[in-house]
Amino acid sequence: MTTEKKLTGAGLLFNVLEQHGVEHVFGYPGGAIMPIYDALYDSKVEHFLCRHEQGAAFSAVGYARASGRIGVCFATSGPGATNLITGLADALADSIPVVAITGQVATAAMGSDAFQEIDIFGLSLACTKHSFQVTDINDLEKVLHQAFAIALEGRQGPVLVDIPKDIQITEVNRYLDELVNLKNKVKLPPANVGSAIALLNQAKQPILYVGGGVGMANAIDELRDFAKITGLPSVSTLKGLGAIDPEDENYLGMLGMHGTKAANIAVQECDLLIAVGARFDDRVTGKLNEFAPHAKVIHFDIDTAEINKRRIADASILGDLKVNLPALAIPLAITPWQAVCQEMDNNFAWDYNHPGESIFAPAVLNEISNKMPKNSCVTTDVGQHQMWAAQHMVFDDPSNFLTSAGMGTMGFGIPAAVGAQVSRPTDCIIAVSGDGSFMMNVQELSTIKRFQLPVKIVLIDNAKLGMVRQWQDLFFNGRLSETDLADNPDFIMLANAFDIKAKMITKKSQVSAAIEEMLEHDGPYLLQVKIDAQENVWPLVPPNTANDKMMESS
Amino acid sequence: MNNYQLMITADDKQVVLERILQVTRYRGFLISGMNAKVNTGTNIGTIELLVRSERPIELLVDQINKLIDIKEVKVDNSAS
Repeated sequence: MTTEKKLTGAGLLFNVLEQHGVEHVFGYPGGAIMPIYDALYDSKVEHFLCRHEQGAAFSAVGYARASGRIGVCFATSGPGATNLITGLADALADSIPVVAITGQVATAAMGSDAFQEIDIFGLSLACTKHSFQVTDINDLEKVLHQAFAIALEGRQGPVLVDIPKDIQITEVNRYLDELVNLKNKVKLPPANVGSAIALLNQAKQPILYVGGGVGMANAIDELRDFAKITGLPSVSTLKGLGAIDPEDENYLGMLGMHGTKAANIAVQECDLLIAVGARFDDRVTGKLNEFAPHAKVIHFDIDTAEINKRRIADASILGDLKVNLPALAIPLAITPWQAVCQEMDNNFAWDYNHPGESIFAPAVLNEISNKMPKNSCVTTDVGQHQMWAAQHMVFDDPSNFLTSAGMGTMGFGIPAAVGAQVSRPTDCIIAVSGDGSFMMNVQELSTIKRFQLPVKIVLIDNAKLGMVRQWQDLFFNGRLSETDLADNPDFIMLANAFDIKAKMITKKSQVSAAIEEMLEHDGPYLLQVKIDAQENVWPLVPPNTANDKMMESS
Repeated sequence: MNNYQLMITADDKQVVLERILQVTRYRGFLISGMNAKVNTGTNIGTIELLVRSERPIELLVDQINKLIDIKEVKVDNSAS
């Protein structure tokens, strides 16, 4: 005689995950989440064991960004939960839908400084869109549905659900038949369509300023139609790269601190700035009160709090970009301005001629971009290599370029590539990293090995914390402080220890063959690219400076 | 420094008061006074918050309004 196994809180969690179509989760087990890992046995959900909870959080972020699906990660109480925080903060800054499940000590022990107890609920307030702690088993199902709804609703973001161990093992009946639908709580004011159309018609030198919100709203087609019908010259933020068709003749590239000269000058000279899913971030604007000084502003967004936060909008268009962009798509008579912008774009094109035998990172990344298969997805870490990738690689969709934009988190690239590869197993996933960032989550090479993920890692190695070194040279009188990494490990030996094929190149003449070998290899591969430690990222808008006063050399 | 009085209504959910206080501090507003109570019949809380800042009050209102459990935020302009 068999006894039917009763549903517990832990089992209910997996039922709800499956109900939301979750197939993959990233996590790391521990004491207070053991009932959930026990219930994993009976679930269809596939778990990817990462080697650090931060890796699990970034893998969930990479998974969400590469696929447009929600990312899910698990961690135990105490240090497991605190290790998730950087990943959640990253997801909050870049508006990425992630649901984090943390185990907690039993409710009777909560508040007693128990072993591996931390108030992750309290800690979550500043780094999540919302969070829950479930102290009544009868609330669990509804809370889990709410977590998914909140993560995806409006401006997306991370949600944490903290589940004490006794709640995980308590028997429960399911009682909700329907998924919880959240109504957008914040009533959006009516869009100023009339004012915006008047501004568009009056403008002689308008610029379309595209941010990450376009990809998050799944409004790429609408944006491209808008750009085509209006003929607007356009610029992109770091997170917006890929939204505008890179072949669009009026596209000027990235703006901001390391933006193109054409993009920054055009924005400074424009008389109307049409911001779409962008938030006037300080790395975009430079000195705020000198940013686009002659421009009126039309601001499209889903988040009311972004309107007038850093720049007053003359017309605000709040709501779904898929609806609002077509409403303002009107042909504009701006041919002379288009010609000015196109001429700047031609005059200030990138130059890949580089003297000497040492490898020029921008040229390497541009060559990889030209040779990588269609639908490849590139992740980056943070620093010089990140800006070179943004400048010199070409992306046709924001889901093909995953970079920690708002938080600027070193250690993002490798675990994000793990998540991207899990979500898109047949696409080529390339992690562009630097020798500083790479070491921040190097343990995730073990995740790559464990699941035989064919991630390609391009390690731009100058044996420095290059971006900090660049700033110390330029703005701190060359007083180099704690930026030398000459004692890095042997990266080839390190990769080989994880059964990852690896090669180091040091000269220009080796570049093309090495790229081809990497791309043709059918498993994981690390290409270590040694570059001159004195190379800088140009252009550079110095801090608190207007964007047209960029430095182009030291 | 401008003074403002906010009247906030919220669902009586976990840590809603902490969330309001965290957002208020992070967005650059100092708290001069506070009065909070819950209607146990409706489970709706009302929070009267006196704040001061150099920043426009709309920045704080928009951010508090984004909190999931908040129902309404009103500014009493007479406070300044």
